Amino acid sequence: MEYMAMGNEAFARGALEAGVKVAAGYPGTPSSEIIEQLSRAAKQAGIYVEWSVNEKLALEVAAAASFAELRSLAVMKQNGVNVASDFLLHLATSGTRGGMVLIACEDPGALSSVNEGDARTFAKLVEIPLLEPGDFQEAKDMTKWAFELSEKIRNLVMMRSVTRMSHASGNVRFGPLPSGEAKAEYKYSGGLLDPNTGPVTAGGYRHRFVLEKLKKAVALFEESPFNTYQGPEKPALLLITSSACYLYSREAARILDVEDKVGILKLGTTWPLPPNLLKKHLASTDNILIVEEVMPFMEENVKVLAAEMAAEIGIKNFYGKKSEHIPSVGELNPDVVLSALADILDVGYESVPAEYAKKTGALAYTKAPARALTFCPGCPHRASFWSIHNALELDARKGFVCGDIGCYTMAIGPTGFNTVKSVHSMGSGAGLASGFAKLRQFGMEQPVVAVCGDSTFFHSAIPALVNAVHHKADFTLIVLDNSGTAMTGFQPHPGLTVNAMNDEVPALDIAEICRAMGAKVEVRDPFNLEETQNALNQLLEYKEGAKVLILRQPCALSPQRKAGQKFKMQVDEALCLGETCGCGRLCTRIFRCPGLVWDQEKGISRIDEVICVGCGVCADICPQQAIKREVA
Amino acid sequence: MRIFGSNELKEDVLAKGLCIGCGACINLCPYFRSYKGKTASLFPCTVEKGRCFAYCPKVEVDLEALSEQTFGRPYDGNPLGTYRAIKTARAGKAVGAGQFQAGGTVSALMCFALSQGIVDAAVLTGREELLPVPRLARTAEEVLSCAASKYTAAPTLSALNEAIKAGGERLGVVATPCQTLAAALLRQNPMNEENFRDPISLLVGLFCTWSLDYRAFEAYVAGRVDIHKVRKVDIPPPPAEVLEIYTDNGRITVPLDEVRTLTNDTCGYCLDMTAEFSDLSVGVLEGRTDKNTLIIRSKRGEEVASAAEKAGYLVLEEMPTESLEHLRWAAGNKKKRALARIQEAGRLNTAEEAGRAMVRMNADAIAAILG
Amino acid sequence: MGQPRLAKDPYNLIITGVGGQGNVMASRVLGNMLVRTGLSVTIGETFGSSQRGGSVMSHLRISEKGTWSPQIPKGQADLIMALEPSEAVRLLASYGNPKVKVLSNNRPIYPVDVIAGVATYPSLEEIIQPVKELTSAAWFIPATDEALKMGNPIYSNIIMLGALAATDALPMETEVFKQVISEFLSEDKLDLNLKAYELGGELLRQA
Repeated sequence: MEYMAMGNEAFARGALEAGVKVAAGYPGTPSSEIIEQLSRAAKQAGIYVEWSVNEKLALEVAAAASFAELRSLAVMKQNGVNVASDFLLHLATSGTRGGMVLIACEDPGALSSVNEGDARTFAKLVEIPLLEPGDFQEAKDMTKWAFELSEKIRNLVMMRSVTRMSHASGNVRFGPLPSGEAKAEYKYSGGLLDPNTGPVTAGGYRHRFVLEKLKKAVALFEESPFNTYQGPEKPALLLITSSACYLYSREAARILDVEDKVGILKLGTTWPLPPNLLKKHLASTDNILIVEEVMPFMEENVKVLAAEMAAEIGIKNFYGKKSEHIPSVGELNPDVVLSALADILDVGYESVPAEYAKKTGALAYTKAPARALTFCPGCPHRASFWSIHNALELDARKGFVCGDIGCYTMAIGPTGFNTVKSVHSMGSGAGLASGFAKLRQFGMEQPVVAVCGDSTFFHSAIPALVNAVHHKADFTLIVLDNSGTAMTGFQPHPGLTVNAMNDEVPALDIAEICRAMGAKVEVRDPFNLEETQNALNQLLEYKEGAKVLILRQPCALSPQRKAGQKFKMQVDEALCLGETCGCGRLCTRIFRCPGLVWDQEKGISRIDEVICVGCGVCADICPQQAIKREVA
Repeated sequence: MRIFGSNELKEDVLAKGLCIGCGACINLCPYFRSYKGKTASLFPCTVEKGRCFAYCPKVEVDLEALSEQTFGRPYDGNPLGTYRAIKTARAGKAVGAGQFQAGGTVSALMCFALSQGIVDAAVLTGREELLPVPRLARTAEEVLSCAASKYTAAPTLSALNEAIKAGGERLGVVATPCQTLAAALLRQNPMNEENFRDPISLLVGLFCTWSLDYRAFEAYVAGRVDIHKVRKVDIPPPPAEVLEIYTDNGRITVPLDEVRTLTNDTCGYCLDMTAEFSDLSVGVLEGRTDKNTLIIRSKRGEEVASAAEKAGYLVLEEMPTESLEHLRWAAGNKKKRALARIQEAGRLNTAEEAGRAMVRMNADAIAAILG
Repeated sequence: MGQPRLAKDPYNLIITGVGGQGNVMASRVLGNMLVRTGLSVTIGETFGSSQRGGSVMSHLRISEKGTWSPQIPKGQADLIMALEPSEAVRLLASYGNPKVKVLSNNRPIYPVDVIAGVATYPSLEEIIQPVKELTSAAWFIPATDEALKMGNPIYSNIIMLGALAATDALPMETEVFKQVISEFLSEDKLDLNLKAYELGGELLRQA
């Protein structure tokens, strides 16, 4: 029976079929659905699924299960591997017991990230095997095999996915689910070098074991069915690819009708590269094109092998990111491969007649206005940044906001009134702010503000706040508490009373934590603009140390807000000043809630009842009180 | 009169540090706001000609045109401006007892005007701890609670704008010279609004030589007293050369020359010591702590002063010649210093291609001022 | 096997709209329907930050032969189903070709820049006329308006699916739709969704 499954669903299914017992992760696009799927299946499958506080914790939680003989899975996006990397290195050194797999889902082109990171290098760095599924069936099958491989070599295995694998769907044949209980026990009383019963510790002396394990994996890779070849025995061009790029390459060769010239070597085992397999294929041609997302990881590794084998296989012409046939920046697609092949094989290709392309291009340019990202209608962040922006303008000392990762990252742009002035990684807003605020002795008088979400607070802002309180750094941390990890799909976090599996759990109180640290803490509802702004203006003047302003209002997409509209909104046409002096279209031009529409003909604003969710905030910004608010 | 929009206002006034924080641009729209004595523009506005620019006393003020419109005569640069009479004045018996500044003339005038329905409400400046705040007074008690000088600029006209927006039609205003100038511009309907009626029925100006930057002053005071306990600030007449700060716990004095370093830079570009575009102007009378100098300028001012005297609210006497000459001399000096600075900055009668002027006046007036 | 069920293999369908319109739901329902019919379906989707008012697209490759690239190559769309009219125009520039068909909702969702007065949104005529000229067939139907009459704008994507079925571009059977929709949604909504699906077909025939 074939099902239509998303890549992430296939990963989850593969893990279940392998008998995974513990799965942990932190929400991050495009990885989140793997843990979500597993948490939905948790009760029935009798497994433990956790949204950990951050990715380092997720890896540690999964590792513990593995040490106790259970099969475990850790899931994160590419940046999550950065967060987990210190433990990852030590875990690879100590080795694992129950099969353990780390799935890293990357975001080429940074469609939902603030960077284009490639996690594959970590596999090479910490010296563990790396696998990349090339389609949805493989996403499932490879995951199952990855657990077996991990147990064979007694070390964790990393699997790499990309957006077009994780968030794409295809037909997948499911396998049977295992039955049987599992007993967790951590054996530690054996000798230091006993991999089955000794203590599981890192140690410099263990490095040689790591390399031996890798060698074992390579031997298995030489015979792996996940490395496939299609095309002539002696192709004019050998195309080496992995992951979703396999699907692009296959289709490109077909469209250009060069399947008789191009041989496609799809690698599923991409670190270490199996040298014998590579030798066989590298020897078959002089021209090699490597197609992969983000970094030239495979490209460089293949070139190293080719150099080592040069005496046997000869000198090769390499095409790829270095030769600029494949872009180094941005996400790939079939047209990238089409254009590379057309160039290398000197074949003409035009996707549509030039005249047609010109007409449709001109039409789109004039008749399809761009859609900028914006906060949802009723988003508390819009109200929060309204107050933060205005408080800083009124304070008039050139204060600024260090931003962080979440929906509120968009406050760099007009949707958040361009309030945020720096963005890096999770928790780094507060970290930078802690640093900026210690520059007073060098003449910096600017007030320093950082924003972070409630989930980000637990993830990594806490140590930054500790740092600031202890070092008396006078910055204001604004925690935008919207009761969930919103940007990635509204997952729970330690501030809530429910966990990944919908069990009731104790919630941690952000305000109490900050007070316990010794920060000066205020809590406000961001929908109350005046109170929020006054609180912030006062906090901005407090110079003795770190301050926290918690702005608490649930996300517009949260179950409690979606349950019902609080207010019914309407614009009184007679009172609306529109473009004239006294208003200048404040609500549609500056506030920019999608629920407000500018009626060009009448010269007034009006509410779009399909989009407005009735939060009522716009009524408080209208200088004429022309926007009316009625309890729904 | 050349009128532009908020972007030009920001460029010419705010960005150049010339804003005095009079409040004329505040409460007209959501973009200009005041906080602790500083005016900020929250967002850019796209309106090309706005009231904010038209009312601002620090940019494109055509003194010639304003003088013609207000008094029916040219701006001639004379030190005390246009006036019908100058007298000494003090509050009469009809005014209740209160903490007046000097002769209590301003309070007396406003109490009188309220009692007669000449004004329905008075736009005044009160105080919250150290910070002067705009107030709208409707009773004599409320008026008296706003008595006593404030030495830092306040956005008083923001309360005027708010009152006008709420439909106020007979408003009294007590204003410093910069605020008076803005109010006078407003009264002349520079935007040519239809069905416009002057909402100010009595504009009382105050004498002023300089004002302090509030935030700098607050930092200075905060180092010396608990600013949350400040009740009053006063500069006693010469030769004291001090500034007194009264708190719940008593009084401290600080040297006036230290305080002068906290003056707003923009005051150095101000030509007007006696609020020349008011109906009536009130200030100190040299050497007296119990009387004021009263300059009667317009017909309205004359009527009100006269009626107030008859009703026992004001006691008017002859102005001593020497005091008048000293006043004229001091006002003339301020005008000369300021005009020289404006001219040096290229902001006097600036040519259209070169930008926007601070003030415009005819050649005779310039000659008269610079001597 | 007899007559091929697809006019082309792979048949390339793009479902496009604005984040929050139910684009992903529509592609899942359709994908599932086609897999039940024994076809291979590959779907590539853009979501994540696109929820926040951005354009979204689902690329569907429907085939007898297996899995295809989850991104359709440029100029290779066979049918564009647009839940929002300007998105149809946008996609024609990258994925359109003279043979493509367009099935579109007629209700605009204004981008924030248009609402803010920084950009202008064309009139429906300015969209319909040129789209008809650049495609082999184009239908614009009042899916949101009808959905609002039914009580919730979210029915618009089911209406669009019903209209798609009526174009006969793909083998879509009402029975299979019923099966799939009852797995996705609760019992009590079944009738209304069926009604919406059938209404879509009618609207297409009238268009």
